[in-house]
Amino acid sequence: MKAWRWLRENAVMIAGILALLYMLTPIFVIALFSFNDPTGRYNFEWVGFTTQYWAHPFAITELTDALLVSIRLAFFTAIGATILGTLIAIALVRYQFFGRRAANLLIVIPMATPEVVIGASLLSFFLTLDVFKLGFQTLLIAHIMFSVSFVVIVVRSRLIGFDRRLEEAAQDLGANALTTFRKVTLPLIAPGVVSAALLSFALSIDDFVISNFNSGSTVTFPLYIFGANQRGIPVQVNVIATMLFAVTVIAMLVVIIQQRRAEKASAMRPEEIANKPAMSLPV
Amino acid sequence: MTSVRRRLVPYGLLAPGLIWLIVFFVIPMYYMGELSLKTGTIETGYQMSWAFSNYTDAISQYSTQFFRAFYYAGVATVLCLLIGYPLAYAIAFKAGRWKNLMLFAVVAPFFTTYLIRTIAWKTILDDSSPAVSVLKTLHLVPQDGRVLATSAAVIAGLTYNFLPFMVLPLFAALERLDRRLLEAGKDLYASATQTFLKVTLPITMPGIVAGVLLTFIPAAGDYVNATFLGGTNQAMIGNVIQSKYLVVRDYSEAAALSFTLMAIILVALIIYIKFAGTGALMGDEEEAE
Amino acid sequence: MPVKKMKRARLLIVAVLALAASMVLVACGGGGGGLSGSDNSDVTTATGGDPTGSLNISNWPLYIDGQTIKNFQNETGIKTTYTEDVNDNNEFFGKVQPLLSQGDSGGRSIIIVTDWMAQKMYDLGYIQNLDKAKIPTVEKNLIPSLQHPSFDPDRKYSVPWQSGMTGLVVRKDLAPDVKSINDLFDPKYKGKVTMLTEMRDTVPLVMAADGIDPPDATKQDWLDTIDKIKKASDSGQIRRFTGNDYIQDMAKGDVVAAIGWSGDAVQAESDNPNLQYVQPEQGCSLWSDNMLIPVGAPNPAAAYKFMDYVYEPKNQAKITAYVNYVSPVKGVKEILQKQDPDIANNQLIFPSEAYTKNCFNQVSPPGDEADQQEVEQAFQDVVTG
Repeated sequence: MKAWRWLRENAVMIAGILALLYMLTPIFVIALFSFNDPTGRYNFEWVGFTTQYWAHPFAITELTDALLVSIRLAFFTAIGATILGTLIAIALVRYQFFGRRAANLLIVIPMATPEVVIGASLLSFFLTLDVFKLGFQTLLIAHIMFSVSFVVIVVRSRLIGFDRRLEEAAQDLGANALTTFRKVTLPLIAPGVVSAALLSFALSIDDFVISNFNSGSTVTFPLYIFGANQRGIPVQVNVIATMLFAVTVIAMLVVIIQQRRAEKASAMRPEEIANKPAMSLPV
Repeated sequence: MTSVRRRLVPYGLLAPGLIWLIVFFVIPMYYMGELSLKTGTIETGYQMSWAFSNYTDAISQYSTQFFRAFYYAGVATVLCLLIGYPLAYAIAFKAGRWKNLMLFAVVAPFFTTYLIRTIAWKTILDDSSPAVSVLKTLHLVPQDGRVLATSAAVIAGLTYNFLPFMVLPLFAALERLDRRLLEAGKDLYASATQTFLKVTLPITMPGIVAGVLLTFIPAAGDYVNATFLGGTNQAMIGNVIQSKYLVVRDYSEAAALSFTLMAIILVALIIYIKFAGTGALMGDEEEAE
Repeated sequence: MPVKKMKRARLLIVAVLALAASMVLVACGGGGGGLSGSDNSDVTTATGGDPTGSLNISNWPLYIDGQTIKNFQNETGIKTTYTEDVNDNNEFFGKVQPLLSQGDSGGRSIIIVTDWMAQKMYDLGYIQNLDKAKIPTVEKNLIPSLQHPSFDPDRKYSVPWQSGMTGLVVRKDLAPDVKSINDLFDPKYKGKVTMLTEMRDTVPLVMAADGIDPPDATKQDWLDTIDKIKKASDSGQIRRFTGNDYIQDMAKGDVVAAIGWSGDAVQAESDNPNLQYVQPEQGCSLWSDNMLIPVGAPNPAAAYKFMDYVYEPKNQAKITAYVNYVSPVKGVKEILQKQDPDIANNQLIFPSEAYTKNCFNQVSPPGDEADQQEVEQAFQDVVTG
């Protein structure tokens, strides 16, 4: 009976954790095979345990270069797309203006376009225009282009229903528009903006199809892997993929532990205020 | 003066992003649209001939793959919603200080790039794997059956790959849900189920709509999952477009197929939004107020 | 949505499109464009002279050892940028074609693609002829069997990088009696065989097994063979059409016999001795990946230097020992005999004449671009069925 009650109370959490496990299953497999010791060039079957590839994760120069290109690209994409997308989201949610539906449509259509079409059409465009040199520039342009729509959607779903009186209150207290934005609006929509930035970073680092057309002779991490797949993916790819994952998880854990320390230091819980704005004001 | 300025503000906010989209999306697409009405080959060049037959051919010849794409994407979207909602709910309300970590874990798989993830799924689901044995024991898969190279594998792959696109907007919607509404709901309705159906679900509808769109649209145009996890006769329209562009190099028909796919998606989008009754994407004035 | 608002929205879209259209016209002066045809002007010959500046090479991933480029730079002083950006003949073509059609190689001095793609690019006027006087080592050391391929009988514009065979890859423990391509159609192996998505690898092999000589095949032969494959695909006999990923299916035992590549099998066998290349009874398909000098290539003199360099047996031996495909260079076997006899004695890396006696050079469907497109489309409709 007690077990049943516990199960019922925690059903959502259990379902959530199961869903997460499902999402992480391939990661476990990838991590496992980073310790594999294949004799040939294929890393599909378990042969034996070794840490030799972890000892030399950056032994393949082309792979390391490709990884660095991807990280740089994803970083700038996240910044660019988040800024452009957040501004659009604010305009769409906050203002009534002529052309709003057209703007909305313009946001949605890129997401309804097959990647191969975007890739091919952008390539012809770049070549016709002959202003940009195919490579990092054109990749960045393309990645920002396809990430903007996602940013808009994520940020605006946070903005809709957002309590505007908070901003009005700030302005009543004498804050100008910019200060209000910085001190009130931004912190309130921050979780949405951060998840949008994270999403565009992830979309960029994961993209293959569009990059393939517009990369010139620049090689990104997915492009390298796709090509390497022709001859057998080196174990280092698994090592690096696992590292990327581990590094970011550890970084998250550090942030969380520091948050806890800060909580102990003060009875106030700052993230309570930041995350639950609606609770601090009467509706 | 101030009212003029105030009226210009939204355009100022929109300008950088929309110009970006117009220059790097609309113009290239216009170009493609023109190509879809031309005839020719790369050897002879392409001439404008207003060849609307490119469209009729595309639709009549590949209706199976169109249908299959929408069917697979539809099932995958429903599965994503069923898996994603409890996950987003758990992250928003139950995770406490682990919230950010869990949220991150949702996006983290992207960092390993899809090809490696898909190869990992092939390892997990191969014909003699423990996972498939379990499914056989449960009689979910026939004894002499398989999972890889079936529609089930393609749908599973789509579900897996697009789940984050469902979870993130759901989370964003749930996260700003006022908890006091839930408490009020608990007082008003007897059961948690009732509270969920009458309060949580309606309020998070914009998130659901956004999640469904973000999952369904890219899933319908996808070709990677069908390529690696599917077998024969499981190709989606994305595979056809891909092969028309890159293998057969029939650019005109490839462009016509792409526009047809986009048009169907847009029509479905408009109908869906009217049906869903929320202004989630196109007409959200009602919602914003 | 209210109708009035819909109308307004539509008006706006039209406005946006009109704006877009006008910008396109301004941008490209009313036409031209990336996907247009080529001018069929005379093919030029890449000029020699002394190497100046740097050399850019585009090759397939993991297709060279770690030392060769460094050594080449040290010995010649030519700064070399070696990029692994060729993943697939078709995709690479899709990516560089718009550039090449404008006479621009994107800075590349050497690109490496498979025979039929080399021919296609040459026919479109994207590839330059070679000045044979500039590559004496290539002239001296190219193995006789590769000197006169049908697509470029005098090796006017192509120099082989590595070669390989397309044939059967079989799980010896699970399908010991598969010896002919026809065995792939045996109901015993239903759902356990795969073929390649690459038409020029798959179709000629199936054709040869039916007694048609691929180089003499008519368009109708191609279409009939494709129809045979379609029936096997619809019935579930063929599990999938694959790229290189058939190796994974085979390592797991999900697939027991496949059409595949010799170099893959050499690698796979070292992990799983049961996974082996089998020379089909009716012969295999032989192909090469070729070094080409594209139009507009900067610094062709350096490109010639590089071609000559990798045709020195001692340099080539390093590449072959790493890559495990068939080496096109004479004298490599003798060097490897001392260093690594296992490789030197492997029939898949140094095939004897007897081993390849039934084999034919990889072929494309006959006819012009439109005919080829028709056949390719028929095959792709099976693959994406």
